Amino acid sequence: MAGTTTTAVQERHTVNPLDRPWGRWIQTAFLIFIGLLTLMPLLWVISTSFRTLRDSFTVPPVWIHFDFDFGNYQSVFDTIPFLNMLRNSFAYAGGAVLGGAVTSALAGYAFARLQFRGRDVLFWVVLSTMMVPGQMTIIPVYILMGVKYLNLVNTLWSLIIPSIFTAFGIFLLRQYFRQVPGDYEESALIDGANQWQIFRRIYLPLAAPGIAILSILTFNSRWNDYFTPLVFINSQQAMPITMGIVELQGEWSTGSIAVVFAGIVLSVIPVIVVYIFGQRYLLEGLMMGGIKG
Amino acid sequence: MASETLATRERRGGLLGWFRADTFEGVRRQRAILGYLFLLPAFIGLVTFVVGPMFVSFGLSFYRWNIFKPPDPIGIANFQRLLTDSRLPGIYGNTMLLVVGTVVITQVLAIALALGVTQLRSRKLAYFLRTAWFLPVLMSGAAVGVTLSYLFQREFGPINYYLGILGIDRIPWMTSASTVMYTIIITAVWKNLGFIFVIYLGAVVSLPQEILDAADVDGAHGWRRLWTVTLPLISPIMLFATVINVIGAMQIFDEPQIMTRGGPGDGSRTAVMYMYEVAFKEQEFGYGSAIAVTLFIAILIVTGIQFLLSKRWVFYG
Amino acid sequence: MTHKLSRRDMLKGTAAGAVGLVAGLTPAMAPAQDAIQIRWSQNEERWTPVVNNFNEMADTPVEIEFLSITGIDHEEVASKILSLLAAGQPLDAGYAATEATVLYAGQGVAMSLTDRVKDNADELAEYFSDMAPILPEVMMWEGDLYQLPDGCNAPNMYFNLNVLELAGLEVPPADWTKDDFHEYAVATTNAGGQETFGYAWTNRLWGSWGPWYFVNDSNFLTEERAPGGEWLWETFYMDNDTVAHRGGGWRWPEPSANHPNTVEALEYVTSLVAEGISPGIEMGGGSSLQGLYVTDKLAMTPAGGFWAGGLINAGMEKGTFDVQFWPQWKSQRHQLGVGGNWIFTGSPNPDVMWEILKFSVKREQMLSLKDRYRPLMRTTPVRRSMASDESYEPSGPANWHVFYDTLDRQDTGPIPAPPEANAVTNIHTRFTGLAVSGEMSPQEAMDQAQAELVALFARTRG
Repeated sequence: MAGTTTTAVQERHTVNPLDRPWGRWIQTAFLIFIGLLTLMPLLWVISTSFRTLRDSFTVPPVWIHFDFDFGNYQSVFDTIPFLNMLRNSFAYAGGAVLGGAVTSALAGYAFARLQFRGRDVLFWVVLSTMMVPGQMTIIPVYILMGVKYLNLVNTLWSLIIPSIFTAFGIFLLRQYFRQVPGDYEESALIDGANQWQIFRRIYLPLAAPGIAILSILTFNSRWNDYFTPLVFINSQQAMPITMGIVELQGEWSTGSIAVVFAGIVLSVIPVIVVYIFGQRYLLEGLMMGGIKG
Repeated sequence: MASETLATRERRGGLLGWFRADTFEGVRRQRAILGYLFLLPAFIGLVTFVVGPMFVSFGLSFYRWNIFKPPDPIGIANFQRLLTDSRLPGIYGNTMLLVVGTVVITQVLAIALALGVTQLRSRKLAYFLRTAWFLPVLMSGAAVGVTLSYLFQREFGPINYYLGILGIDRIPWMTSASTVMYTIIITAVWKNLGFIFVIYLGAVVSLPQEILDAADVDGAHGWRRLWTVTLPLISPIMLFATVINVIGAMQIFDEPQIMTRGGPGDGSRTAVMYMYEVAFKEQEFGYGSAIAVTLFIAILIVTGIQFLLSKRWVFYG
Repeated sequence: MTHKLSRRDMLKGTAAGAVGLVAGLTPAMAPAQDAIQIRWSQNEERWTPVVNNFNEMADTPVEIEFLSITGIDHEEVASKILSLLAAGQPLDAGYAATEATVLYAGQGVAMSLTDRVKDNADELAEYFSDMAPILPEVMMWEGDLYQLPDGCNAPNMYFNLNVLELAGLEVPPADWTKDDFHEYAVATTNAGGQETFGYAWTNRLWGSWGPWYFVNDSNFLTEERAPGGEWLWETFYMDNDTVAHRGGGWRWPEPSANHPNTVEALEYVTSLVAEGISPGIEMGGGSSLQGLYVTDKLAMTPAGGFWAGGLINAGMEKGTFDVQFWPQWKSQRHQLGVGGNWIFTGSPNPDVMWEILKFSVKREQMLSLKDRYRPLMRTTPVRRSMASDESYEPSGPANWHVFYDTLDRQDTGPIPAPPEANAVTNIHTRFTGLAVSGEMSPQEAMDQAQAELVALFARTRG
């Protein structure tokens, strides 16, 4: 795969001050150490999800054990309509990714590569929308979604539509479009491409890694959104999985934390799959489009 | 539509001539119109769902509104109350500590990881590590809060157990006002490192190899190459990553809300948490809006400074 | 060009996403619209059986749109209702516990049920006679009734019998004292050479260190009974000679956070932390407390009837825990919180909603609530007849009668929950946290809490 060649190329040319046998070992050990730190809590969650709560607070901590108890997983399915919630989360996150990629790519390109009056002011307006805490705008947006205006409360559209427009995506893709050297454009113009073609054929493919990253991050943030559904969604039928996890905790935290952990594990699997798929695509896209151009 | 060339377009006249692609002015106008068209969808959406509601909320800061009764205009009384609110300095202190701590640690680590992982010899290890670092990002803030509050538990949590083996006394991670903010910083770094890392990974992997090669030929190696070539090349993304990181850190809510609910005292309360508490729990939506205004201005100023400074260090190709 | 491949990949991904999206959206796309709709902020799963039963007997069936309340603590439930109100969403009914009862009543959001109860006195007589008088009394505000009680919890002392056994102790008698408690707490700390804690609690309003200021004959706010309510006592509790002193609900006129007895109570629980009898006190929902308890690392903790089912659910075995009244200090007064349904003043269908509420408090309907009283007891029932050997058979504890007996104790009263309850809760937990973590002395903490409460009341009560 393309990844191999680049790694090899980079290695040949990278002379790290630590590029002695021990330096390389220290570097690798550090990377692995960080990996363990980020991995351990999730391992602990997985490990605990296979035990009864009575065995969860063992000292010293037990990481691997062999008497798997699937009871917690059974409880997840018994307590909440898990598959339905999963489907709702997919629709919410997927819709946000598709819509967000389109609006962000267009606007990001405009801010990065096109000149027009008021561009910088408009960019700051867009940027400033990131600075408003969602908790503050939620009531006006909720009123907008209500019967009087859009009548979308308690539908997945009420979650998807506002999340299609993100300053984050516009800003991210603007930076990607700006990173592309300007000479591509000149040669395209000479070849007779029009402005739309320059965007569609040249810049968009070059920004593919950015779009992939945006998609991964958007999918992930919408998948994990709890606050918006908490306000906008009223029925279990339209609830995403984040609300299900809270339901597992039960009134006054009387739910078993081990069941909650089982729910967390189940809910995190789809995003891991998306990430693994996206990561592969991301790196392949980078190799093909980004570097050899 | 795709086969249009300069030659065919040249034959058109009239109104379209104004946009003719073979004149400098025509291209300029085309690009300006395209710019507005491209912005339109995002702009309509953002104005409807963020800017408009934002103005509604900011307008509320001049009212007293408890939801149950109609809003009551009270001028700038909410802002006067801000000045005498003895809780606000501590809460903003926490927010600032959180931002500085989280952003500095996250940025340095994320760049180091992005550079480090692309230099690994083993592709499998690189793949494994990229995935491992990103895992915390995949968990929701609520899930992270629940999980880490177990791990940080003072008496029986695994973290204090392992520190105990190293001879370190049990740390009251969540139950002491003087340490709790560091716990929140660790949590925020842990949760967001993968996010910032992926953004840098994209930038590092797409670095033009020719330029790196040229730098090597010119004798720029190691640290020097990092400072003089690599970092300047990824600087547009560094600007993005730091701005996003700062804004995100100023708005952290889920994790401390679940782990400590802002306690002990106001020990881990951030500005957003305070605003949420005032507005939603104590039904003082006007005063909550006033706090939101201060937060908005604070973020605007910090981001503005970042952009101003960026003129000195960000390098656009 | 090499771009083609990557673009095709992207299209493929997009197509797959679009298919998934369409498949995912269809069922939940349009809001359900139908004839007469009742919008009720309640737990959908739990209440669906009762609604189904109602529709079987009703002439005109109702369709309920549940506005589900996902939340761990009462304050989260309240936030959702507030959002609904702020957005002007029509609402017929909602759920509230003591923390919010007075708020909705005082703000005119909840409808007084007094006249409807009087008009249906015959039908409701059985319900009220099966209920301790304190429960409807707590649901009153200035003489009017605003909710039909549905569940309640009073903090009692829970004992982990495995830890007690390590210390060679048994469950104490009902008239045990604070000194007995202290001996128990010391003996069960590091009991039998294992790392255990004698006592722990979670920092919130209900069941926090509140039981201690109650038994120390004090409170966080001063309390008094509002006049009125005779209509209720005379209609339903004629034969009950214990209602003479009862009134028309509670008032909390002044803060009393720095009352010497309140400070003394805080000093006591703070000293338990300092001596290592209690672990660090955490904020929040209490899930790690449950974890400590279930894994036999904690001997005693305050909790209500909801914990009986909760502990079994969390993997504890029946017979390994038990309960007792709170120990005596200057008094043995208990606190409680009650939950129930209220009707929104702006409800388009208050009559139908009232019929549903009235129906829902029948004994068999309460029992048909999903996961409420069956298979495990997940809250203390408001009906005395439902607290029985039979109902506690699957979970225990052996002393289950303590739950309902607490409600029958004449001096039991509500947690301090004035209309400003949310702000009061915040001040309560904030300064408690500062005291137990050693940042402030209990006296300092309560002096500052008092100052903030005074300022709060000045603002809200003008």
